[in-house]
Amino acid sequence: MSATTGAPPATDRAGLGRALISPALAGLVAVLTLASLSVGAAKLPVSAVVDALFGAGSEAHRVIVQDIRLPRTLLAATIGAMHGLSGAALQGLLRNPLAAPSLFGAPQAAAFGAVLAIATGLGDALSFALPLSAILMAFLSACILVAIVGRESNLLLLILAGLALSSLAGAATALALNLASNPFAALEISFWLLGSLDDRSFRHVLLAWPFMACGAWLLWARRDAFRVLSLGEEAAQSLGVNVTALRLQVILGVALGVGASVAVSGTIGFIGLVAPHLMRPLVGHDPGRLLAPSALAGAALLLAADIAVRLIPSSSSIKVGVMTALIGVPFFLYLVFRERLRLGGATA
Amino acid sequence: MNVFGRLAAAAALACFAPCAWSAPARIASINMCTDQLLLALADPEQIAGLGPYARDPQMSWLAEQAKNYPRLSGEAEDLIALNPDLALAGKYGKKATRDLLQDHGVKIAEFDVPRSIEDVKTQVRRVGEIVGHPERARALNDSIDAAAARARASAADGRIRVLAVSRRGWVAGSNGLLSSLLATVGLANSASDLGLRSGGFVTLETVIATEPDLILVAESSPRAEDQGKAMLLHPALDRRYPPARRIVIPEALTMCGGPMLPAALDRLSDAIGRASR
Repeated sequence: MSATTGAPPATDRAGLGRALISPALAGLVAVLTLASLSVGAAKLPVSAVVDALFGAGSEAHRVIVQDIRLPRTLLAATIGAMHGLSGAALQGLLRNPLAAPSLFGAPQAAAFGAVLAIATGLGDALSFALPLSAILMAFLSACILVAIVGRESNLLLLILAGLALSSLAGAATALALNLASNPFAALEISFWLLGSLDDRSFRHVLLAWPFMACGAWLLWARRDAFRVLSLGEEAAQSLGVNVTALRLQVILGVALGVGASVAVSGTIGFIGLVAPHLMRPLVGHDPGRLLAPSALAGAALLLAADIAVRLIPSSSSIKVGVMTALIGVPFFLYLVFRERLRLGGATA
Repeated sequence: MNVFGRLAAAAALACFAPCAWSAPARIASINMCTDQLLLALADPEQIAGLGPYARDPQMSWLAEQAKNYPRLSGEAEDLIALNPDLALAGKYGKKATRDLLQDHGVKIAEFDVPRSIEDVKTQVRRVGEIVGHPERARALNDSIDAAAARARASAADGRIRVLAVSRRGWVAGSNGLLSSLLATVGLANSASDLGLRSGGFVTLETVIATEPDLILVAESSPRAEDQGKAMLLHPALDRRYPPARRIVIPEALTMCGGPMLPAALDRLSDAIGRASR
């Protein structure tokens, strides 16, 4: 769409800038990945980290870097990317800048699904029952929300219904843990509602990645449809996009990605909201082109947040969802402020 | 884990004399550790009710026995309805509950978390006085002393460093009862290397980087029943601490001080016997 003929030089510069964004972001993610491998409770110099990563150094160092920090870092990068991609896809689908998995209550519903799988004895905390149940719940909550909001994707409806769903799912999560009479329910609840990547292992990577890969592929495959959809639903329909099928595919993709993420990390909010917004001024308003940069920005954001929780001195570990909410909620308020005219119009 | 109260010296002194001369007829307990002391020392008809965790075999040493008595919620309501002559409670935590009970005229004896075998023996004597059976308290304390003597006879040289790791990375502090037990069998609590006097949560990489010689865990093959427990199944822990480098002592033996101490000391002695072979 934006590849117009006879573009003035200014557009060329913008096009060049756009072409450089993804490599630049990939570089940032690489740097943050290294930083994430170098940060932790055990103080290791970067040289020792690199040695340990490639199998040299003492066994303790190898275990710390390869078995503890590497899976954590890989999960932070991919879960962040999944949230960023999901946010961009949802914003494209609903043509609405306030769409994001965490505002939909999808992660909260996924957390409830995961807790339910444990509480009902379907599986333990390291079984595939967890991501499957989380994905199912995320899918259900997204379907409910889309059904409530309908085709107009009214901003106010979206926010209210999302708030209601996420509150309900959060309460249900806490209740399920209390009813399972876990004496450590309080700590478990904080994990599921605030999210954490502490002490994850490659078992968690194995649990999440297959589903996340499927979800990411489902979303990525429809990037051209988002572009057409930005012309409006009728126009897209007439250009041969089956909008109903597109909706289903996006919801399924988001549920797979976010559900699997939440099953291993708990609820991590607001990455999916913030990442596409950070990228939109840089790549323009083409929702198809927004997907890849949003995924990379999401990866960078979650890596940075997960590094921050390890750097801030505290007596007990800070949950990474606390960090993302501290950044995300003011950002959300700013967006609401910016959209207040449209929101006000909706109430009038 | 060290949530069940703390310090009690002052309260102990205050209660000894007045409580001894006429033993209360009906005594309740709302703390898992005082449950154990009451079960071990009181007559069955003296026990009016026990705390919510008394029947949990994971944590409670006398769980089987506890099933014979009413289960209390640990909150004020059912205790006020029960109206016992005396309620045993932890000194820390549940302050609102204890205040409410006292306002309604329920007498409360508060117990601290014991920090050493001597503290435990003091508490045993105190409960013996309260229930009017000091001879049972003496017998229990004698068996604790005997177990400690057996343990010292076969003790290690104190250079083996042990870190007690529980779910979600909770590490038992260097100032706690477990340290006292470890010292008795000739082991050093590695928590002192971490500066954790009263315990705390540490990350897995801190455990690995501290390089204790052995780790002490509650189960030989834990199940990942939640995220906190799943941490104990982390491959990094398996790799650095295979079964030969683990001491397995059930939580019910280490969580409280009381009738389980002789068994806890014997289990620890056995475990170092195996580890040093």
